[in-house]
Amino acid sequence: MHLHELSIQETHELLSSRKISAEELTRAYLERIHRLDPQIRSYVTVADEPALGQARDADQRLKTDEGLTPLTGIPYSAKDSISTRGLNTTCSSKILENYKPFYNATAIRKLNSTNSVLLGKNNMDEFGMGSSTENSGFFTTRNPWNFDHVPGGSSGGSAAAVAAGLAPFALGEDTGGSVRMPASFCGITGLKTTYGRVSRYGLIPLVSSFDTIGPMAHSAYDVSLVLEAIAGHDPKDSTSRLEPVQNYSETLKKTEDLRGLRIGIPKEYFVQGLDAEVDASLRAAIKQIESLGAEVAEVSLPHTQYAIPVYYLILFAEASSNLAKYDGIRFGLSERNAESLMDVYLKTREAGFGAETKRRIMLGTFALSAGYYDAYYLKAQKVRALIRQDFEKAFESCDALITPVSPTTAFRIGEKISNPLDMYLSDVFVVAVNLAGIPALSIPCGIANGLPIGMQIIGPHLSEETLLRIGHMYQSQTNWHMQHPACWND
Amino acid sequence: MSEKQELQIDEKLVKEIASLARLDLTNEETEMFVSQFRDILDYVSILNEVDTENVAPAYLSSANKSVTREDEIEESMPTKEFLANAPQSKDDYVVIPRVHMEQ
Repeated sequence: MHLHELSIQETHELLSSRKISAEELTRAYLERIHRLDPQIRSYVTVADEPALGQARDADQRLKTDEGLTPLTGIPYSAKDSISTRGLNTTCSSKILENYKPFYNATAIRKLNSTNSVLLGKNNMDEFGMGSSTENSGFFTTRNPWNFDHVPGGSSGGSAAAVAAGLAPFALGEDTGGSVRMPASFCGITGLKTTYGRVSRYGLIPLVSSFDTIGPMAHSAYDVSLVLEAIAGHDPKDSTSRLEPVQNYSETLKKTEDLRGLRIGIPKEYFVQGLDAEVDASLRAAIKQIESLGAEVAEVSLPHTQYAIPVYYLILFAEASSNLAKYDGIRFGLSERNAESLMDVYLKTREAGFGAETKRRIMLGTFALSAGYYDAYYLKAQKVRALIRQDFEKAFESCDALITPVSPTTAFRIGEKISNPLDMYLSDVFVVAVNLAGIPALSIPCGIANGLPIGMQIIGPHLSEETLLRIGHMYQSQTNWHMQHPACWND
Repeated sequence: MSEKQELQIDEKLVKEIASLARLDLTNEETEMFVSQFRDILDYVSILNEVDTENVAPAYLSSANKSVTREDEIEESMPTKEFLANAPQSKDDYVVIPRVHMEQ
């Protein structure tokens, strides 16, 4: 048995009984990263020395046996949009290539306080704009299941790292499916948290009203351990939720069936364009969940078809505003071979942003400009209200909804990159959740042609516990989450 | 989108937007954006089908109402560390190119 094959709980037991040290564990992961990641390319930065330092600190704490948590000494990686003090945080953009934050994101600070070990930072679509990591300003990450296919995006590096055994868990970030879609494409478990459940402090923003940090790991149980560690109110994020964090993992241990739960199947998500294999896997998974005692009924989310245009219009607008700060003055890339201040702005932004980022800044600037605001941005915000109402109505008669994560398995590298609209449409099942600010869990439920299929479990605000219970019970009866790509054994 | 009939997506419009967005696009990029903008704006126009006459916009995702806090003095951000990321700095200041040109 190799260390990367263990669950977080199993690894914790080895650490706390001192059968292995956190330093040995960290060295084993770093060795795998240096051996396998040159092909997969899931990391932008590997933090060898800082990680070993953190591991030695964890070993000190493990010796004292005091204040240990299930994550003490456990290595992890983080999407490169999450600020890490003194360690490059690039959002996979050339404009932030050498940027070193002087503070930690709250989620990182919380993991530090329990002596988890940060292995490095994961590749992503630039600033989170994309569904494949092909829009990274540096390089494309490969799907560990098939190197010719994309890992999904935008947290594609984080998903690939976990799937290939290059980190036992990762912090991803979900603006419009960016945790769930890559989790599905790479065959791992990923949670899009309720908006505000995890502090956004130190998360470099893409769409401030959609962005959420969420755990990515091999099981709902491992995800629950990470969520407990990072969730909670933060005075530094006024949108973070005040409600106390539940003891998710304890609940999972006590769950024996799904009796009394009502599951809705939104008919608008099982339509033309859904791959036959995805459809069949989802239907089998729903049967399995029904056999655990849940009641299943069809529901309707009538405004589903408008989720993509609403999502993208709001994204264009908010992203173009959020990206205005990259101007070559205070941090990041700066083209100083310029005649005037304006020239610095123009040259820096032209050189620093990739094609998709420019496209979205342009579309957002247009949608917010005088004369077009009402027709695009305001209209989108109104339809967003209707999409939210669809969910509220559905949750009057059910506790959770089950849908596919993506209509297809991972597509080929290069297949959609030249057609942006086609790429946007691959997010069809994931973006509505962000419009409503509600949580959703992505878990593996099948394999077709050697590529994983994912199931999405959606719930009302702060229903993480319910979603994790459903995921955990499903995973206690099935072994899709225990299937691994060939490189897992390398 | 009600302006759709009058909306001409051409190089002139794309260049105007680029100037507002502070992007110095190449001619190639400008040309590409003209055709992609047409496709994307045409696609989002399906929102016109939705009756939103009496719908209030959603805007916020947060459940928290207006959040205030005590105005307490805290340690400021460390100037030296902050400036370590600046492309150019002098003493405790960020250096930028001249804004006002001499006559």
